[in-house]
Amino acid sequence: MTATTTGARPAASDLVAAGEPAVRRPFLHRLNPIAKLAAPLPVMIALLFTRDVLTPLLFTVGALALLLLGARLSGRAIAALLIGTPAGVALIGFTLGVWVDRARIDPAAVGADVVLVEVGDWRFTLAAYLVGVATALRIAAILLLSLVVGLTTTGPELVRALVQNLRVPYRVGFTALAALRFVPRFRRELDLIRAAHRVRGLHRGRGPVAALRRMVSYAIPLLASSVRHAERVALAMDARAFGAHPIRTERVISRWRARDTVFVVLFWAASVAVFWWGLAVASR
Amino acid sequence: MTAAPLLELDAVRIRHRDAGRATPDGVSLDIRAGEVVLLLGPSGCGKSSLALALDGLVPHAIAADLEGTVRVDGRDSRRHPVAELSETVAMVFQDPDAQVVTGTLLDEVAFGPENRLAPVGEVLGRAERALKLVGLWDRRDDNPDVLSGGGRQRLAIAAALPLAAPVLVLDEPTANLDPAGIDEVYAVLRELANEREHAIVLIEHNLDSAVDIVDRVVVLDATGRLVIDGPARQVLQERAAELLELGVWLPVSTLAGLRLREAGVAIDPLPLTPAELAEALDSIDELPTPVGDPAAEPSAASAAAITVRDLSVQRGGRRGPVVVDGVDLDVASGDFLAIIGTNGAGKTSLLQAIAGVIPAPRGSVDVLGMDPSRADARERARRIGFVFQNPEHQFVADTVAGELELSLRLQGIDEPERRGEVDRMLRRFGLEQHRDRHPFLLSGGEKRRLSVGTALVAGAPVLALDEPTFGQDRARASELLAMLRDLNEEGTTVLVVTHDLQLVADYADRVAVMQEGRLLGVGPTAEVLGGPLIEAGGLRHPPLARATRSLARHPEWHAVARMSQLPSPGGAAA
Repeated sequence: MTATTTGARPAASDLVAAGEPAVRRPFLHRLNPIAKLAAPLPVMIALLFTRDVLTPLLFTVGALALLLLGARLSGRAIAALLIGTPAGVALIGFTLGVWVDRARIDPAAVGADVVLVEVGDWRFTLAAYLVGVATALRIAAILLLSLVVGLTTTGPELVRALVQNLRVPYRVGFTALAALRFVPRFRRELDLIRAAHRVRGLHRGRGPVAALRRMVSYAIPLLASSVRHAERVALAMDARAFGAHPIRTERVISRWRARDTVFVVLFWAASVAVFWWGLAVASR
Repeated sequence: MTAAPLLELDAVRIRHRDAGRATPDGVSLDIRAGEVVLLLGPSGCGKSSLALALDGLVPHAIAADLEGTVRVDGRDSRRHPVAELSETVAMVFQDPDAQVVTGTLLDEVAFGPENRLAPVGEVLGRAERALKLVGLWDRRDDNPDVLSGGGRQRLAIAAALPLAAPVLVLDEPTANLDPAGIDEVYAVLRELANEREHAIVLIEHNLDSAVDIVDRVVVLDATGRLVIDGPARQVLQERAAELLELGVWLPVSTLAGLRLREAGVAIDPLPLTPAELAEALDSIDELPTPVGDPAAEPSAASAAAITVRDLSVQRGGRRGPVVVDGVDLDVASGDFLAIIGTNGAGKTSLLQAIAGVIPAPRGSVDVLGMDPSRADARERARRIGFVFQNPEHQFVADTVAGELELSLRLQGIDEPERRGEVDRMLRRFGLEQHRDRHPFLLSGGEKRRLSVGTALVAGAPVLALDEPTFGQDRARASELLAMLRDLNEEGTTVLVVTHDLQLVADYADRVAVMQEGRLLGVGPTAEVLGGPLIEAGGLRHPPLARATRSLARHPEWHAVARMSQLPSPGGAAA
């Protein structure tokens, strides 16, 4: 008589839409993660071989614009992008510029005779700074381009796309996801181990040797508990039929739509134009 | 119930690759639909190995030899993969953290049926039913990390259900939970047991929670042989003495009943729950007077060991939450103080602030004339030893003796004196034969003893332990507490943070109750455990106090919370 059966009822229809929230998200979120990965990837590689300031500058500005228009960002993230990017480029540009070998700067280059700082016979010229800035801009452009996929895709979305669209075996994808979940646990565990060692009064030394010894002594308990944890997770996955079939049920279908193709083609076309322009300006 | 058994075990022996003997050793039993079976046995008897054999994880996923046969719904477990056997047997393990694979509750519960290639509609239907059953449907889009321990273990149960397996095996599902979490999990298990749709195999040391949902008890002895198999009530009531002899823990109410019988109180049948104990006591016209609680008498004005004034602790920087809020606490030298409270009450933070694990909190702490946040580690180690929940975290040396020696060397003690002291500590903690072993290769109990040894070897008269019984079975937990009591009797002041209120009742002299960072009160154990502070702290009275508080005819028994207060066998007058 105590038939408190919550069962026997068919699937809730309100659930089917679980994958697609009601609020319409900015367009980058609606693209297939593979498109967001495939479009900037060749550009990021090509950027490694540029030497000018203009090309990475255009890509930095372009990636920023793309993120601001197409990604859902918090106010703090927008501020970090808009202020952090130029500030970071200026600062890293200076640090790198200081280390530029002056002998290798063409005396005819722009700003070779404009001295910014002079200490004794060491002179920091505008040309050196520009070399530094170009490098910093390359770093910035590559970072921002990676954020196009990074800020608009969740781990599960990426794995789903890799498994469904690129035919990566789901075991690999799920193992990666499970491994990601280990990270916060490791951090907590490491904090505890450090506190435990501190309480015992170990490792009060400074310097690289002491730091290395500290790391080794943290590694053993961390490894022991990680291996144990991983084994337990593996058992729990096995017990729930992980790996029973070559494929799994996909609740959310990751589709490659026309807009994904359009995005990649437009992205590549714009990129080729930017590279061409950069080369044209440089060879003038 | 004439259908074929769901599980048929025939002469099952399991030997782990690095173990000398097989545990379990020759176990035969059948489990049929709708049964709720409790599997009992002393630690090391092979209960968990047996559980892992029920869905083929032994021998498929674990390096162990399986002899005899396990038939799962008629299929030999050796010939069929775990994935196939999981159609019949679903598992829930001890550690709720180690069972979460995905990023949301809904994905987690869908994981099993998705692996089984169930159609999408069915996956969602089953997931919804399971989440609703455990009361987590409204949180389906949350990350499992934000759930409490009890919530995550409910999720683990929910994730096992959509496999639609007729057998559910739970291996110590509440060992890592606080009392509130244990109650949550048992509320779910009770509902599942009432539905009678599943056969449930339960391994549990917390018999007080389990006893009223199980209908059959299977007991293994220390060598892994099946010694008792029968109806739960009958086994626990009629063979209680035999179970105790085997090293199996009994419900607190049953233990109390046994003790009262020895003292000449006619209790028959033996009670299994606090309600039954109360009923049995109330049906007796005249009870002997309970023994006074020795801890309730004010100690002979011993000096203060720890003085805490207006202590506040904030976690994670200036914006972080205040986890300890204006606490004043005095601990006399020679006290055995337990700090209790729900999860997040600030117990551990208070203990860490006292021991100097957390740097410079607000307010003042004085441990034997030292401010732990200012003192250097060496000075601290001479006054207060801190034992972390996981003993492995504290080990750095390659040998057991080296571990102890290191603590002494940090104190600047010279070689000959060190050797004598190390020998003395090894003897004191029963670790002489392990002197040259690696600390990580010790058993759980030995590791714990070594961690206490390293905390005390520098001569600290105060010992602080954070959840020392977490994740351990009852026997090992009480072994540890007994050791702490010995140390306490030798003069060490002991502070312990724990969830296990009956252990607190039986070992601690004084109890401090915390809630939301504040100290609600401190007092003698029996007074606190029998009084209103427990409810104020959001906790539940431990089983014995629950029984005595509800007595209608014996008001003088209302303050009885500890076993030692029950009349002793020597006669009530003693």
